[in-house]
Amino acid sequence: MVASKPGKRKEASVLNRVKSRVVSSPYLPPLAAFLALFLTWELAVRLFKIQPVTLPAPSSVFYEFATSIGFYLPHTGVTLFEALAGFFLGTAVAIVAGIFMAHSPLLERTLLPIAVLANVTPIIAIAPLFILWFGFDALPKILIAAIITFFPMLINSITGFRSIDGNHLEYMQSLHASKWEIFFKLRLPNSLPYLFSAARTCVSLSVMGAVVGEWSGSTEGLGNVIMMSSNYLQTERMFSAIFMLAIMGILLTNIVRFIERKVLFWHAMGGDRD
Amino acid sequence: MTEALRDIHLELAQGTFVSLIGPSGCGKSTLLRIVGGLADVDRGEVTIGGLSPLEAQSRKQFGFVPQSPALFPWRTVLENMNLPFEVNVRGNSAAKLVEREDPVELLKSVGLGDFVNAYAKELSGGMQQRVGIARAFGSGAPILLMDEPFSALDEITREKISYQLLDIWESHQKTVLFVTHSLREAVLLSDKVVVMSARPGRVAAVIDIGLPRPRRAQIEDTDEFHQYVAEIRGYLRDEWKSS
Repeated sequence: MVASKPGKRKEASVLNRVKSRVVSSPYLPPLAAFLALFLTWELAVRLFKIQPVTLPAPSSVFYEFATSIGFYLPHTGVTLFEALAGFFLGTAVAIVAGIFMAHSPLLERTLLPIAVLANVTPIIAIAPLFILWFGFDALPKILIAAIITFFPMLINSITGFRSIDGNHLEYMQSLHASKWEIFFKLRLPNSLPYLFSAARTCVSLSVMGAVVGEWSGSTEGLGNVIMMSSNYLQTERMFSAIFMLAIMGILLTNIVRFIERKVLFWHAMGGDRD
Repeated sequence: MTEALRDIHLELAQGTFVSLIGPSGCGKSTLLRIVGGLADVDRGEVTIGGLSPLEAQSRKQFGFVPQSPALFPWRTVLENMNLPFEVNVRGNSAAKLVEREDPVELLKSVGLGDFVNAYAKELSGGMQQRVGIARAFGSGAPILLMDEPFSALDEITREKISYQLLDIWESHQKTVLFVTHSLREAVLLSDKVVVMSARPGRVAAVIDIGLPRPRRAQIEDTDEFHQYVAEIRGYLRDEWKSS
């Protein structure tokens, strides 16, 4: 009896350790939630005999997806290309515009209302116009994704370039630094946390932009797959395309997060020493 | 616009340590900034070896130590030390003449030899300000402008760093203009203390500190030291009475 006690305690502590590891893990709890969701969905479809046209079971969506992966991948590639090209284009234009606006309040007052106008106009209303102007190719989708990306990136780059520590600026001035030296050595690194924070949202917004563009007129891409399968009541195909888009959004956001952690190691570092 | 400074006539000899002391709002930081080319004067003239403040600034004559250490958080301590050599150097003949001191040796002399590759956030406030001071001494500039560099630090850290500044200055003999609120620091460090009065800022008195050099911490226990402190306090008291 006495001898078995330490063994029991050990067992309990192993259990506790596993428990605390599961609870503190960043992946396991959400993964469990997803599993529960899919399981409930699957059971509901089977129990209530829901028609696959209305709501296919996750298992049949997965089957469709796995057997026709060769169909989805090229469409995924098209949408991914449009979204990323738009994201990079929008980001590049926003940073350049941000540099000028951060240096000139007059330019900011003059041009910012146009950017605001472009931002408040529903993108879905502009998309058909872009198709009319630029055709059924990738270009209008790239532009739509770029417009969506542009505004948050612009606002955050202006803020990032401006919100420098006054002491840092004065130190640079005491070294007789030029405007460009102040920009590259102080304003630009200072703006990176702001730019990454905007990029995290914009990268998934750009996927939405590409899909909206594809709805308005396209021959390929995941948005096109969703439109076509909606017309032909191919609900499993719709779900597969939707999942593909969701996965794309998650992956892109996490890639940005990963790069952010590598680049901004100095930003997150905490803990003062004394 | 209010007048910040009036009738300031001061001369700083090369290689001396001069403190500016006075009540808040007496314009001592403004005066420091005018000398360093960071603020303009409406009337009057400031020359640094025959140059205007901005000319002197462009010829890398100044090492500035602001109130907060002004270390860039994305740079290591060593990279921050190198900043003065990356800025305003292209096509600058004066920059080539600047003698460069080993930054690691300088960091060792202020007790930060182990933190060469650390980032600012990993250092305490006192350590950061020591980097700021080492950077100014290592910048090759002959004139150092220090704007209350210890004001954000606790009393104990402050005292320790003032001895380190004393040591590093006595081995370099650069010209230092040092703005402070502390009578003790002014007397300990300076060859000359300029007492200023407020609104508008004027020079109330200039006191030569005749304490022998090299100075050590023990000098603070001498009667002479206390007499100097009392003398400066007397001038400051007169200012309070008259205002």
